[in-house]
Amino acid sequence: MLVTWKYRPRQSVIETFDPRARWIFSMLILFAIIKFWDIRFLLFFFALVMTQYALTKLTWAETKRAWFFILFLILFIVALNTLLTGRGGTAEVLHGGHVLWRLEWHVLGLSIHPTITVERVWFAMSQVVRMLSISILFFVIPYTMDPRLYGVTFRGLGLPDRFAFSMDLAFRFVPTLARDFSTTLDAQKARGYEVERMEGGIIAQIRKMAPLVVPVTMNAILSGEDIVNAMDLRCFGIRPRTWVHQLHYQRRDHLLIAFGLVIFIAAIIVRNVLHVGDFWLPTWALQWAA
Amino acid sequence: MSKEIPLRVHNLTFRYRIREVPAIREMTFELQRGELLLVAGASGCGKTTLMRCINGLIPRSYRGEMTGTIHLFGEDATQMEMARLSQTVGTLLQDPEKQIVGSFVLNEVAFGLENLGLPRDEILRRVDETLDYLGILHLRDRETFGLSGGEKQKVALAGVLAMRPQILLLDEPLASLDPASAQEALQLFRRLADEGVSIMLVEHRVEDVLQIHPDHVLYMEEGEQVYYGDAEGLMRVVDYHKVKLPAPIVVERAKSEPPPAIEPAIGAEDGEKLIEFRHVHFRYDSALPDVLHDINLTIHRGDVLAILGHNGAGKTTLVKHALGLLKPTEGEVLLEGRSTRSMTVAQAAHTVGYVFQSPTQMLFAPTVEEELAFGPRNLHFDEATIRRNVDEALRVVHMEAYRDSPPLALSFGQQKRISIAAILAMKSRILMMDEPTAGQDYWNYVAFMDAIIQTPGFDAIIFITHDVDLAVVYANRVVLVDKGRVAADGKPPEVLGDEALLRRCRVVPTSLLALNMRYLPRTGRFMRAEALAHLI
Repeated sequence: MLVTWKYRPRQSVIETFDPRARWIFSMLILFAIIKFWDIRFLLFFFALVMTQYALTKLTWAETKRAWFFILFLILFIVALNTLLTGRGGTAEVLHGGHVLWRLEWHVLGLSIHPTITVERVWFAMSQVVRMLSISILFFVIPYTMDPRLYGVTFRGLGLPDRFAFSMDLAFRFVPTLARDFSTTLDAQKARGYEVERMEGGIIAQIRKMAPLVVPVTMNAILSGEDIVNAMDLRCFGIRPRTWVHQLHYQRRDHLLIAFGLVIFIAAIIVRNVLHVGDFWLPTWALQWAA
Repeated sequence: MSKEIPLRVHNLTFRYRIREVPAIREMTFELQRGELLLVAGASGCGKTTLMRCINGLIPRSYRGEMTGTIHLFGEDATQMEMARLSQTVGTLLQDPEKQIVGSFVLNEVAFGLENLGLPRDEILRRVDETLDYLGILHLRDRETFGLSGGEKQKVALAGVLAMRPQILLLDEPLASLDPASAQEALQLFRRLADEGVSIMLVEHRVEDVLQIHPDHVLYMEEGEQVYYGDAEGLMRVVDYHKVKLPAPIVVERAKSEPPPAIEPAIGAEDGEKLIEFRHVHFRYDSALPDVLHDINLTIHRGDVLAILGHNGAGKTTLVKHALGLLKPTEGEVLLEGRSTRSMTVAQAAHTVGYVFQSPTQMLFAPTVEEELAFGPRNLHFDEATIRRNVDEALRVVHMEAYRDSPPLALSFGQQKRISIAAILAMKSRILMMDEPTAGQDYWNYVAFMDAIIQTPGFDAIIFITHDVDLAVVYANRVVLVDKGRVAADGKPPEVLGDEALLRRCRVVPTSLLALNMRYLPRTGRFMRAEALAHLI
């Protein structure tokens, strides 16, 4: 019933940076990471984002659910997609390779016989490190960025007023939506509705969500008219607006952006000029197959 | 400041593009500097349309055909730019929850000024000034979501006042407030008017607004201006069934009408215990303080129980325990002798039918019939029983003609009746309602409550309210809740007779209560003003 923001002031080093600088840095690192498939480089990025994580002063108790969720999602995607099919990888990952195991399953009358190769295992490991690095890079943001500053941050990054304010508006109405949902859930429970007892196929299950989804959605749409009126009456969008919160770049922000740029440019040189950093398989790993 | 009259409306008619008939017709009135004008009328009378014409939403956001004129300080309002219009006319919408667009109080109050592109220093200065003026400077850095209803409204008002309008339009500002907060809000409006702001206050709670002596009253019915003049004159022309007037005036006027014949159809008292609260404590989180504190309460067959208290006193938390939606942190709640810990909410629903405050929170089905069948089907009734229950429920709420209509397309009042019918069809022994009158005007809610109270088949009725008159007219037992405790429990005269206690619990006595107390030795029980008229 109670919605609490993940953010609270933690007096961490990370919070002393201007949120715009943090976003720019994070985007630069993101673009650098996605250039690589070589696990040695990816481990460098992993170390980098973990350093950032360590600087946030986040505790295990407050982040463990997020960790479990991310790990589950990544392992699920990698196990299903990369390990079994090799999809997303280079030719040697997709076809052929050094066989470790041949599996055979019978599911719903179909027989599936995926082949696990050394290449696929190694590729999957790289993929996990890569996805994990990207996730950790961004998942610290909601914990460490004051929700009041999203609008002005995106405005400061050059996005239009309307888009930037819609971020603020989203933050304003998320708790309202959560409360409406919980009220509707209670109201339907009072009519004997049991969300725990989901029977039938996927279509039947979706239909059973209607008593929850329809009222909440309808309420949100109807509220929309009032919200738009309230904004129109206070002149939203008629001229460039002032943002009451102000952000100031400091020396450390410039340094952070410069650091991000160096890594980004280095990544381009390594990949596009030196042609290093594509999928890498250590020769000793091939012995596994034998 | 201009010497011209702040607002002058002449012969104003407006028809929405998608409608056949005009929403308002030939309105003519004016508003002087520092004047407080009450615009009264039942829902659907055109109050909101009138406001939209003045604040510029018509024709900017709503299209249609407009004739007549609106002048603001001598200038044609339809020709004004929105930036200037919004600094002349400020509008407080009905539900502050939807008007507030900022996550934090500071952002909310600054919103309009930011949009006008004012310098940052100026904005901050004005925000602080406005918050200070309204006595809520301490809320400046709070999140808006966690504020109480009264605080939310003040914050929304601050957001409007910060733009320094000389005219203020208030759309049913009392609707979402409990009586104690409403009193405070009214005093504030009076002060604003006394300091020179021209106020148009749209409200159907006429009795409450009359306390702050509006300079003029405009009464509307179905889009037409029925009365425009001083407050005394209103008492003579208005239909007291449609607008709530002070009890002594209703008594005076009702003498010429036959007495009302409304008898509760509730099951006879026989001492059977339906719901029992035993030393119930509740908190949402072990780190948070108790929301309910040592509640001991037994609800018997034959009770028509009003749970009375201000917003945030713990009323809703209390009744959610009866249905097992919440389980006590300590103590236990017994439903027909069984602990709610050992049953699901669906099982509890056989005994307790709980109608939530807003029908839009539960209506979802494509037709009224399916909506009503949802509950009984969940409780695994057989098809023949379901059909019989649905038919009966439709008959009770007089909605037979709407069997195949989509509930979401009905009016608010009709939706409210459907939400009750949906519970009636489950044939629960107890009917429990959260603020049954919320969002309805006087005429509708009286008709609604009269219908409920005469509905056969319930062993007890429980309703949550902050409206003393509802308890006076309908309850045979009152439980007063304050700060998560039962402050008093007994027959209505016993509980409501203690005015000091009521005030301590932030419950506001009414003229009907005072009148009933005065004549109690003669009448022996509480009753509505129309019935009193024939006994005194």
